[in-house]
Amino acid sequence: MENNAILEVKNVHKRFTSKNVVVKAVTDVSFSVEKGQTIGIVGESGCGKTTLGRCIVRAYEASEGEVYYRTEAGEEVDFLKIDKKKMKEIRKEIQMIFQDPYSSLDPRMTVLDIIKEPLKANYPKMSKAEMDKKATEMAVKVGLNPSYLMRYPHAFSGGQRQRIGIARALVLNPRIIVCDEAVSALDVSIQAQVINLLKDLQKEFGLTYLFISHDLSVVEHISDRVGVMYLGKMVEYGETEQIFAHPKHPYTEALMSAVPVADPTFRQERIPLKGEIPNPANPPSGCYFHTRCRYCRQKCKEVAPEYKEIEPGHFVACHYAKELNLRGFEYTE
Amino acid sequence: MEKDNIIEVKDLHVDIKMLDGTLTPVRGVNFEIKRGETLGLVGESGCGKSITCKSILAINDRKCIPSGQIMFRNEDDTEVDILKMDPKGKEIRNVRGKQISMIFQEPMVAFSPMYTIGNQINECTLLHITKDKKKAKEISLEVMRKVGIANVEKRYNQYPHEFSGGMLQRALIAMALVCNPKLLIADEPTTALDVTIQAQILELMKELQKEFNMAILFITHDLGVVARMCDRVAVMYLGKVVETGDSKTIYANPQHPYTRGLIGSVHKIGGKKEDRLFSIEGTVPLAMNLPEQCGFYDRCDARIEGLCDKAEPELVEIEPGHKIACFACNNPACAAHRAEVEARIKAKEGGN
Repeated sequence: MENNAILEVKNVHKRFTSKNVVVKAVTDVSFSVEKGQTIGIVGESGCGKTTLGRCIVRAYEASEGEVYYRTEAGEEVDFLKIDKKKMKEIRKEIQMIFQDPYSSLDPRMTVLDIIKEPLKANYPKMSKAEMDKKATEMAVKVGLNPSYLMRYPHAFSGGQRQRIGIARALVLNPRIIVCDEAVSALDVSIQAQVINLLKDLQKEFGLTYLFISHDLSVVEHISDRVGVMYLGKMVEYGETEQIFAHPKHPYTEALMSAVPVADPTFRQERIPLKGEIPNPANPPSGCYFHTRCRYCRQKCKEVAPEYKEIEPGHFVACHYAKELNLRGFEYTE
Repeated sequence: MEKDNIIEVKDLHVDIKMLDGTLTPVRGVNFEIKRGETLGLVGESGCGKSITCKSILAINDRKCIPSGQIMFRNEDDTEVDILKMDPKGKEIRNVRGKQISMIFQEPMVAFSPMYTIGNQINECTLLHITKDKKKAKEISLEVMRKVGIANVEKRYNQYPHEFSGGMLQRALIAMALVCNPKLLIADEPTTALDVTIQAQILELMKELQKEFNMAILFITHDLGVVARMCDRVAVMYLGKVVETGDSKTIYANPQHPYTRGLIGSVHKIGGKKEDRLFSIEGTVPLAMNLPEQCGFYDRCDARIEGLCDKAEPELVEIEPGHKIACFACNNPACAAHRAEVEARIKAKEGGN
């Protein structure tokens, strides 16, 4: 593990089996995360980004691979291999915020109980008064009115509910938070509020985020580094500006060109993607993207490209990454 | 009604009687759409955009009581008021689905899982165009081809669960277009789709719009999609249109504080790396027992105490085609409106 890395994902695979059909949801994903950074994971629905996030927090057991994590004490552990007791201890440091603020909160619990629940589970000896105090503090921190804490989730709007979800994740003082489409269900103006809140909290607590989203403009705003996934594989990973201004994978290029830009004078030429995302139970031969790639050559149909570093910190899985001249967003400044 | 206009919504109100009061999700909406143009109706959830467009088709829930006027130019060039029609009568059925049709937000929910896609597209054809089943099938296949569904003969007999989200949205568009409508209402047609599929569907809609020369009322909260699709924009807040104009003008020079906030809170890729996004504080109030003040008063950064909390501004034209409802705007037309309202408040307070 590198010195400043807090998390290192190495060759993680996740396969789901049903009725003798094996679906490879995540195939051989590797990347490393530095402390205090935000990593954006983007891709179309069904590309495995949520599964990857869940494997990292061990909500799913990965089929193969390692996730190295440096604990607060500086100890290096493979989070996927440790036993239950140890995991419980370490999981306090890795928390998750979910996509849907409506279904991720128990309608029969008061907001205070929801925020307190992680404390109850992890610190059974903590006194009730202290729990209440901690939960209330956290609620205030995320911008909830403390006098509303005895209410039930249904009394809150989408943005407020997402704040409750954030408070619940933060109450254990985690170091890494996996945000799975944390702002996708919110309106634009509320989205901006929640993103600002996430950024403020990151500064205050030195948090590391794994930000999973399909909204590229949000990811570009919040992330230091971005990973692009396609059909369970990481096809490109690098600094945000590298990815957005100089994409090296044809899929990234096509994805960028499809983003609707909030400027009517902006004329962009969309790179059409033929067809639809293939069935992950029956992926294409060679490079998974070759069926829809406009630069596809014979080699792509036969040999799967290696995921390699083409410039410092910039990883791409494409045979012709160095030759292709791809188009990204223009950066002013 | 002006000659080019295909529809004019005038002072539309919708009330919903509830146990603990009257909900007013739509409180005086005004807009018009010309032949062949695209109007974007933008706003956050709960601002009344969906109820407005459902009122145009008279398919709102029975509890919704509309008032005002929705003037529509009928087939024979006469003007009819949709709100005066019986929502279950013959007259509206000649308009609904035939001259005005709608694409719904979630393609997965809009189709019945019990019938084949072909069957469901045929329903519209058989009702409005022909009673001949063979002909109807031909027409349906033709329109399915037009929206880019491959292998139509096979697809015709498939059920919705056999389609992907993007394909299903295409089928929904086919269903809406089969009668060659003059106005298409698209209620968040691409919100449930991935960006790449979204781009395909938007392009398809633009092409079909040219081909059929139809007007589109495009409802969305995604400002990027509006910028790509719409000629004009109407921004709604709390059941009212607060700003309307040419989309280029609105994006380059938004005048209403809410529009400014909305556009400011969207991050532009490649733009300056700002540390924080501009955000509008607070949330949309519940549209019940609203006090007599500007709906945006509590969240506004340009509010004028003693004025904005005492009266609600009306839409004023500040440039040809660009209207806003705000007292804080410096334009002479707005200032005149403001002076008038101020005088009215003074007179009222003096009287007390």
